[in-house]
Amino acid sequence: MPLTTETMILNMGPHHPSTHGVLRFILRTDGEVIHMCRPDIGYLHRGLEKIAEQVPYAHFMPYTDRLDYLAAMNCNLGYAITVERAADIEVPLRAEYIRVLVAELNRIISHLISVGTFAMDMGAVTPFTHTLREREWVNDLFEELCGSRLTYNYIRFGGVAFDLPDGFLDRLSRFLDYFEPRLKQYNRFISKNKIFKERLIGVAVISTQQALDYALVGPNLRASGIDWDLRRDEPYSVYGEMEFDVPVGGSEFGELGDCYTRYWVRILEMEQSVRIIRQCIAKMPEGSYWNRSKKKLKVPAGEIYVRTEAPRGELGFFLVSQGGLRPHRLRIRTGSFSAMSIVEEVGSGLMVADLVALIASLDVVAPEVDR
Amino acid sequence: MEARDILERIKRIIGETDLVWIEDLPGDPHLIIPKEKLRRLAIYLKGDQHLAFDTLMCLSGVHNMGEQDEMEVVYHLYSVRHQHQFVLKIKLDRPAFFPHFFLRVDSISEIWPAAAWMEREAYDMFGIHFVGHSDFRRLLLPTDWEGHPLQKDYQEAGAYRGVSTTREEIEGIVVEGIT
Repeated sequence: MPLTTETMILNMGPHHPSTHGVLRFILRTDGEVIHMCRPDIGYLHRGLEKIAEQVPYAHFMPYTDRLDYLAAMNCNLGYAITVERAADIEVPLRAEYIRVLVAELNRIISHLISVGTFAMDMGAVTPFTHTLREREWVNDLFEELCGSRLTYNYIRFGGVAFDLPDGFLDRLSRFLDYFEPRLKQYNRFISKNKIFKERLIGVAVISTQQALDYALVGPNLRASGIDWDLRRDEPYSVYGEMEFDVPVGGSEFGELGDCYTRYWVRILEMEQSVRIIRQCIAKMPEGSYWNRSKKKLKVPAGEIYVRTEAPRGELGFFLVSQGGLRPHRLRIRTGSFSAMSIVEEVGSGLMVADLVALIASLDVVAPEVDR
Repeated sequence: MEARDILERIKRIIGETDLVWIEDLPGDPHLIIPKEKLRRLAIYLKGDQHLAFDTLMCLSGVHNMGEQDEMEVVYHLYSVRHQHQFVLKIKLDRPAFFPHFFLRVDSISEIWPAAAWMEREAYDMFGIHFVGHSDFRRLLLPTDWEGHPLQKDYQEAGAYRGVSTTREEIEGIVVEGIT
């Protein structure tokens, strides 16, 4: 008698240790192989876009912290730049440098979490404790700077909320001196680890065409071989004066667009962020840190779409103003959202364990998907 | 390519009638097109060698309740190959009776797959129907949710499945409205 198999519906999440927040997947599997993978999102939907229409412009800044709590600075920055462009607010040079500095520092700790949880999802628990140790140091630096460790609410329209404390740049340099050798240690630890590599190379490949079709952004897009970075190609703030390389996935490590390449691009990006921060420290100008206005902020009527490069890729704010004290409409477009939308296509045909690798390698953060 | 050059090319394909080009407002210039021309134009914008809009950056719904009750769907397109962008817009009337019958527009999710989820979100939040979408349902809210929250005249129900959606007033605490 021939062996027959049948498919079954498997529910994964919403509380699953490897789903990076509250995400749910409905899987139809045949044994270990996924035939259909349907993401179910919305568990962390807080209606940020509706809230934005009901509060004055400045009051929405703390909400952008919660947009992506692992990269609050970058979300602050994206929103601040949007409103500044719409209302034509000037930013002092020192504030611009501070902004780039904190944004890159935040990129490092966001990628640290991504890399650490990725290793943990793959069964290596120890690297996560190491990445958290490094992150702790940066959290202390941020706490010194603005009083918060996670949701910073630091960037303001026309500058930043506080100047750098005395000796901050020295302490930051000390961290960078400590951190760079650590990156090499991670490489010995996980990146070049034979088990880790064999587990991930060639798994869940996203082709260049698929990446473009689903509007993937950031490291996920670059891992699929597209040389595209907003910091370099559409420079905002003072990124135009910085020297850095944009790591793009190639076939040197694994297959183009596989899980390992997405991981490796993030490691390389951290090196580049260190480079940018060092340039900020060297060039940090003196002067005012906040071009503060006492008047209530009114944004002239118009429509503007501004995008910045957050750790999870393009963070776009589409602001429609009708000239009032509040936005008429604020649409937030995030990197995790498009990364989640591709899971349905790439996920079918994978093994269940590889779906975990795919989600971890896309670096999806649930609050950013749902907003 | 500059937005004006792209506009000239578009005019050659779908004609000049009923197109509204807005560039004097602060922000991004955009083109308002009649909804019947959307699908044809989208295929052209993606397929043409010189335009090659390979990604859909953003798809947003907007609800205006000024002199006229209308909805907008805004498409932000970008070409990674040529590094240029373009903004398309569609306006839909929202009459008081049978609004769902008028809030309809062709889906472009076959042309840009990224649109599939963005269209579902626009339906979820604004109640705009995208015709021809292969998997059309709510995205973020539960399937039995009533109403579309980002509509300007949305009234939240007092409870959802027996759970109150309002906060109890606590004696002694005054919650001031934000002005």
